[in-house]
Amino acid sequence: MTDATPLLEARQVFKGFFGNPVLKGVDIALRPGRVHALLGENGAGKSTLINLLSGALQPDSGAILVDGRPAGRFSPAAARAAGIAVVQQELSLTADLSIAENIGLGAFPRRFGLIDYAALHRGVREVCDLVGLIEPLDMPVADLALGRRQMVEIAKALYRKPRVLILDEPTSSLSAHEAGILAGLIGTLRDRGTALLYISHRLNEVQALCSHVTVLKDGGVTADQSLDGIDGEGLVRLMVGRKTGDLFPPRPAPSAGALRISVEGFSAGLVRNIGFSARAGEIVGIGGLVGQGQEDLLLGLYGAIPAGAGKAEVCGKPGLPAHVGAANAAGIVYVPADRKHEGLVLPHSIASNLILPSLGRLARGGLRDRAAETGLIADLARRLTIKGDVARPVQALSGGNQQKVALAKWLPLDPAVLLLNDPTRGVDIETKREIYLMLRAFAAEGRLVILASSDTPELVHLCDRVVILREGEVAARLSGDAITEEAIVGAAMGIDRKGAAA
Amino acid sequence: MSAVSSTGWLYGAIQKRRNRGLGGLYLVVAAFLVLYAVLFPGILSVGGFSKFTQNWFPLALVTMAQALLMLNGGITLAIGPLVSLGAVIAATTMEGVFGVPGGFVAVALAGLAIGAVTGVIVAHLRLPAIIVTLAGSFIITGVALILLPRPGGFIPDWLSNGLAGHTPVAFLLLVVILLGWKAFLATPLGLGIYAAGDNPVGAFRSGVPVERAKVVAFALSGLLAALAGLFVAAQTGSGDPIIGTPFTLNSIAAAVLGGVGFLGGKGTMRGAICGSLLLSVMINVMFFLGFPPVAQYVAQGLIIVGAVAVPELLGAWRARR
Repeated sequence: MTDATPLLEARQVFKGFFGNPVLKGVDIALRPGRVHALLGENGAGKSTLINLLSGALQPDSGAILVDGRPAGRFSPAAARAAGIAVVQQELSLTADLSIAENIGLGAFPRRFGLIDYAALHRGVREVCDLVGLIEPLDMPVADLALGRRQMVEIAKALYRKPRVLILDEPTSSLSAHEAGILAGLIGTLRDRGTALLYISHRLNEVQALCSHVTVLKDGGVTADQSLDGIDGEGLVRLMVGRKTGDLFPPRPAPSAGALRISVEGFSAGLVRNIGFSARAGEIVGIGGLVGQGQEDLLLGLYGAIPAGAGKAEVCGKPGLPAHVGAANAAGIVYVPADRKHEGLVLPHSIASNLILPSLGRLARGGLRDRAAETGLIADLARRLTIKGDVARPVQALSGGNQQKVALAKWLPLDPAVLLLNDPTRGVDIETKREIYLMLRAFAAEGRLVILASSDTPELVHLCDRVVILREGEVAARLSGDAITEEAIVGAAMGIDRKGAAA
Repeated sequence: MSAVSSTGWLYGAIQKRRNRGLGGLYLVVAAFLVLYAVLFPGILSVGGFSKFTQNWFPLALVTMAQALLMLNGGITLAIGPLVSLGAVIAATTMEGVFGVPGGFVAVALAGLAIGAVTGVIVAHLRLPAIIVTLAGSFIITGVALILLPRPGGFIPDWLSNGLAGHTPVAFLLLVVILLGWKAFLATPLGLGIYAAGDNPVGAFRSGVPVERAKVVAFALSGLLAALAGLFVAAQTGSGDPIIGTPFTLNSIAAAVLGGVGFLGGKGTMRGAICGSLLLSVMINVMFFLGFPPVAQYVAQGLIIVGAVAVPELLGAWRARR
């Protein structure tokens, strides 16, 4: 039944950048009515393959075929004309333009050369209803939260009435509810005969939605097969040849250390009047739907946004840190979710990023101490298994390795408290495992790790305790065996446990 | 049913949203206009209004030329030299065989062509606009000085009287140009200029011809600046190869006053136009209040810094509450 001509196909495509081969002879065929999963660790070449399939890049050799015929010079416009649409991981939206204009961008209906706003309105309304976007269509995208922007991105792809829809990590910033809507949509499109390519690091989604998988590793295809009869562990084996159980380090027996953070009546940003405490040696997870105040809780504790508390004690001192400098002095560090903008100086070298927080401390007589710096950099690179030349710019690294640099740069300060905001978003499974091991090791050294995460398995398997936020308030506090996916999702959605089970 | 009954609703609603955040600017402009009318009631007569808008008109055009590029994520330092060149070409061609129409065409073509070439260099060679236009400004100044080493040339009196006489022709022209901009912004390419300014990679992947949008933006910008030069020549009755110099920085100042951001995609043309009006009125008011020229410059600078700082501080204050 899936023997129909592939709508879109890549045959033996090669692509390299600056002499580094990224794709080395990759084949993939997207057939109508099938959801095709594309798996691979970061740096395996997934993004490059998507860019070739959508016309954003040209292959060095090999061919892209549309309906079995070679596509000539394949540009994004030509891809759109061929009915290919992509939901980008990096959003393609323009902040100052309205939702409607963003959805229509590049595919506007025209009348006498002008944009036909009436036709645009009808078409956009239709796709917004499909994805459950109820915001006014004239609202600038800048006013939307990240998850809602992702829904606009999906609506934008649907607006092009695609025959081939490529979804690149579409759920990384979606709430469980929004992800549910997307899953329903994917089913509908598949039944209508759309060819879908689905890229995700969330294997349960892949298992639930997809029927065929292509696995990329180091620029080559290592598997191209049906997903029939392959369970979650089988998927992971296809990708890394390792069992899922190994992904998370074993959780040691709880050992309560000294109280490091204790706040009552704490408010910051979206967070209103909550109590929170955590002890040395713990990994505390902060969960919930996207944008329920998780980030504000971390930033408030870090002194980065105005915060207030009825009673507060942080690292043995009364009161909250007044500003970031005070927080750092107290041994608190923060690793932001948006590592590209907030965590790293992308064009600078790995070495100078690693050394940045320590520059002042290492200086002697106001001058930089190059010898001490070099020693520290080598030590950090070794401890974090950052491979290769540290003089390379950070932007040359994969997302996972960038995250390791963003984490590592704080270690010389010997932090007592690490505040981490979604540290494994968009990180491949192998690096995830390394980061989990690292966090466990930090806790064992007596540090407190507070981790906001959108990845439920991470909360379940890594954290000693989990606090679920909903609309800025604590919806649930879970610990030990009470931390289950059902409990977390139920609390985040505001369904009581019995209701969730039904 | 709602889709049918609300035909045209979307466009209107988007237009209304674009006034968001400009309320304060509108108020300040209105206050300065009232102050101006009190100090100089002559503005309320046809002749006074005409003179006032003639002083504003070239600044409005060059501000549009600048804002167009800033919205696209660029900037130009060649505005002043282009104004000078426009004036020089107008003053040297209008006594030729093709007369005034020939002069208009020559000025427009020169502006479009110089803008397009600059745009091609910036878009296709991926060089920074600020450097390319800085280099361009020297070249254009040189060419203007070669064409007309000292002020002179010829502009027919009837043209000077028509454009810069006692009738509000300049104002009507500005209205026409603004309507043209509105129409342009309602085309896919017009919105593409915005989108390519804010998120070039995203716009490219969405199918916006990002490079073409940039070249078109530079060409239109060049056209507007050269036409401003033609108007200045008509106003003064002759060509002057360095008359445009102050327009470069004033165009940036006016666009910034109007809330146009430096990083592309942020701001509105209506804001920029208001910014140019505010700058123009401010200069006039300070003149009538008898400020010495030096104090005018200092005050102008302080007001521009304030105009940028106040919204930032207000935003921070709101976020704190």
